[in-house]
Amino acid sequence: MAEKIYIDPITRIEGHLRIEAQIDDGVVTDAWSSSTMWRGLEIIVKGRDPRDVWLMAQRICGV
Amino acid sequence: MIDHPDSNSAEVLAQMRVSRRDFLKFCTLMAGTLALPASMVPKIAYALETAKRPPVVWLEYQDCAGCTESFLRANQPTAAELVLDILSVNYHETIMAPSGKRADKSLEDTVREGGYLVVVEGAIPTKDDGVYCCVGGRTALDLLQEIAGHATAVITVGACAFYGGWPATTPNPTEAKGVKDVIFGVPIINLPGCPMNVDNFTATLVHYLTFGKLPATDDLGRPLFAYGRRIHDNCERRGHFDAGEFVKEWGDEGHRKGWCLYQMGCKGPVAFHNCPTIRWNQGTSWPVAAGHGCIACASPGFWETGAYETTPIFDATPPTAFPGVMLNGEAVPLVSAGVGVAVGVAAGVIGTLAVEKLTKKQEE
Repeated sequence: MAEKIYIDPITRIEGHLRIEAQIDDGVVTDAWSSSTMWRGLEIIVKGRDPRDVWLMAQRICGV
Repeated sequence: MIDHPDSNSAEVLAQMRVSRRDFLKFCTLMAGTLALPASMVPKIAYALETAKRPPVVWLEYQDCAGCTESFLRANQPTAAELVLDILSVNYHETIMAPSGKRADKSLEDTVREGGYLVVVEGAIPTKDDGVYCCVGGRTALDLLQEIAGHATAVITVGACAFYGGWPATTPNPTEAKGVKDVIFGVPIINLPGCPMNVDNFTATLVHYLTFGKLPATDDLGRPLFAYGRRIHDNCERRGHFDAGEFVKEWGDEGHRKGWCLYQMGCKGPVAFHNCPTIRWNQGTSWPVAAGHGCIACASPGFWETGAYETTPIFDATPPTAFPGVMLNGEAVPLVSAGVGVAVGVAAGVIGTLAVEKLTKKQEE
């Protein structure tokens, strides 16, 4: 029997993660992970003074 | 986390083996943080022992979990003993055991029963219908509006949930916003900071449990007990500012001697927070004590100003509040005609610097 399951939210991690899995006869045959949150720091720091960027970059993850 | 939703706080404390002495110490600390007289300590203790544990859902959106880390590092007694257990934290993605649908169920049950508090950490993206943050296939915007809409009150923690924080920094690629800009009709209290200080979070909850309402706030929705005082006015380096002793370069003589960081970009004169008094890491230190200026992380839009830029001082602590300076045995009023401009350079100047300027003025 084929079915597709998903686990979202994945807990006990920092950030947001979704896992989808294809199950055929009780065996996982394919799986996908998605990071479901984006803040765009790559765009925010472009052209910004490096004396500020270190403060921002250290806040990518607070864990 | 103890799982017994019907027990009251006294039972939880007994189970967690928090001694009576530690418990009363904590109540005294909370009274102090809330600027309440010592006579309120018994009332706080009574409220904490008898209050029904309010259910809490902690929602994380465009966050870094830094405020969660701050929350988990509560002490006096520890978070596990007091905050987590006096509160009934029914949903918190970073620390809860169930995932996926079972996590959703905890949330749904709490929302259905009502009477819960919502804590929000992280900004809420609004661009493209909010697709930049989704949990369980629904957008943060959609989830928050439903969950917060039925809450007793919303507590925002950190700069991001306050006004958008760094995700909202120019050019704000996801059009991130703070909770107060997307939720209406529910009482919101903001505990900004990057991260928020857990002692202020605990004190806000204690106030809520003791008096049945959220503490008084300023016009930005920040509680006055924590954000009513200027950093500059309680700074341990203030004496050096008043004496005109400034760090000019990282690692210079002044920096080694612990002089004022104003010229290195410290935002203390325009920032409001109780950082200098309650400090961090169990009262160990705070940024200025560690040798870096304040970045005004509890102020809206603080990322738009460089941390290295010297901030203009608009409303100086009134120099007239200082006693007159004695000069050659004669009292000299600090703000005399013509000195105002010179005083403006370093507002609130007293001591040697002021005397020097006054002397020069008199010589001219």
